[in-house]
Amino acid sequence: MSEADLALLFTALSCLALRVAGLAVAGALRADHPFVAWAAAVAQATLAAFVVLAVAAPSGALATLPLAARVAALAAGLVGYAAFGRRLLPALLAGLAVLVLTRAI
Amino acid sequence: MPTADAAAPSPPGDAAPPARRAARAGVAEALGAPAVAMAATFLAFGAAVREAGLPIGWALAASWGVYGMPGQLVLVQHAASGGAAGVLPAVLGAVAVNARFLPMAIALAPMFAAPRRARAWSLLGAPFVAITPWAAAMRALPGMAPPGRLPWFLGFGLASWLVAGAAAMAGHAVAGLLDPATRAVLVFANPLYFALLLAADLGRPGTRGAVLAGAAAAPLALVLPAAWGLLAAGVVGGTAAFFLGRRGGRRV
Repeated sequence: MSEADLALLFTALSCLALRVAGLAVAGALRADHPFVAWAAAVAQATLAAFVVLAVAAPSGALATLPLAARVAALAAGLVGYAAFGRRLLPALLAGLAVLVLTRAI
Repeated sequence: MPTADAAAPSPPGDAAPPARRAARAGVAEALGAPAVAMAATFLAFGAAVREAGLPIGWALAASWGVYGMPGQLVLVQHAASGGAAGVLPAVLGAVAVNARFLPMAIALAPMFAAPRRARAWSLLGAPFVAITPWAAAMRALPGMAPPGRLPWFLGFGLASWLVAGAAAMAGHAVAGLLDPATRAVLVFANPLYFALLLAADLGRPGTRGAVLAGAAAAPLALVLPAAWGLLAAGVVGGTAAFFLGRRGGRRV
């Protein structure tokens, strides 16, 4: 087994443990329990931070896209979301289309 | 976006049990925008795996076993660098960037409970606790009757999981056709999709505070070590939103 395989195996097991632990620990709680509400807020905030970073200060492959293209794609997606009756798929495709077009210019 | 199909009365002629109808509604929901965003990202991931010199089976195992893109990318980068840093730092880095699975699972767990069903059944949902199914479930499940919630999540999760694995294998197979610029566009589909979900959440008083606080805390990730930055921003932003929301007399 190579190092990459070992790293994958241990990561997969650890990630499964996190998921099972969360479900097992909170399974007995009510949905409006403060601990559950706090965890939901943390998860939601993490997602928001992820999106802000991906658009404003990305690393890796996203960093090769110009900031103007990333912002234009985001704006097009949001405008599309409002224009297409709050439907996600057309909005997503509109954002990606603008990203491709902005890169081509 | 349909959110309460599973709770709706069965249409005339649909004799399927409620659980199966809920699962089918979850599959249908997953095969729209979530599938497009997920397929694009995992296509780019498959290509990156091929570039790192790893086989197609590894791409599939990482997609299904880890099922959290930031952690998957840490592992690929580790392999591409020849693994010089050792296994432990790669595992710690990959698990840290995916540590959000814990609060996500905690937030979902109470919604999986149903009368006359052992709680252990909820653990079937564990492999699918990831951003896309979680975000969809947090929107759809509260409007659904409790018995249908877990089947809906399993339908949604399994469909997305299969799409992700198939896309990763396809990306590995056609890696030569995907230049870096194309890959970057594909990767962007993911945050763009999440941004649209968040825009929808801004209209809901219960989640607005956490979205805004998380966005405000994002710069923390730039000054902290990469593996922990995102988690720290989420914990700080989410905790602030939680306490502010309680002081304001409403749930966050």
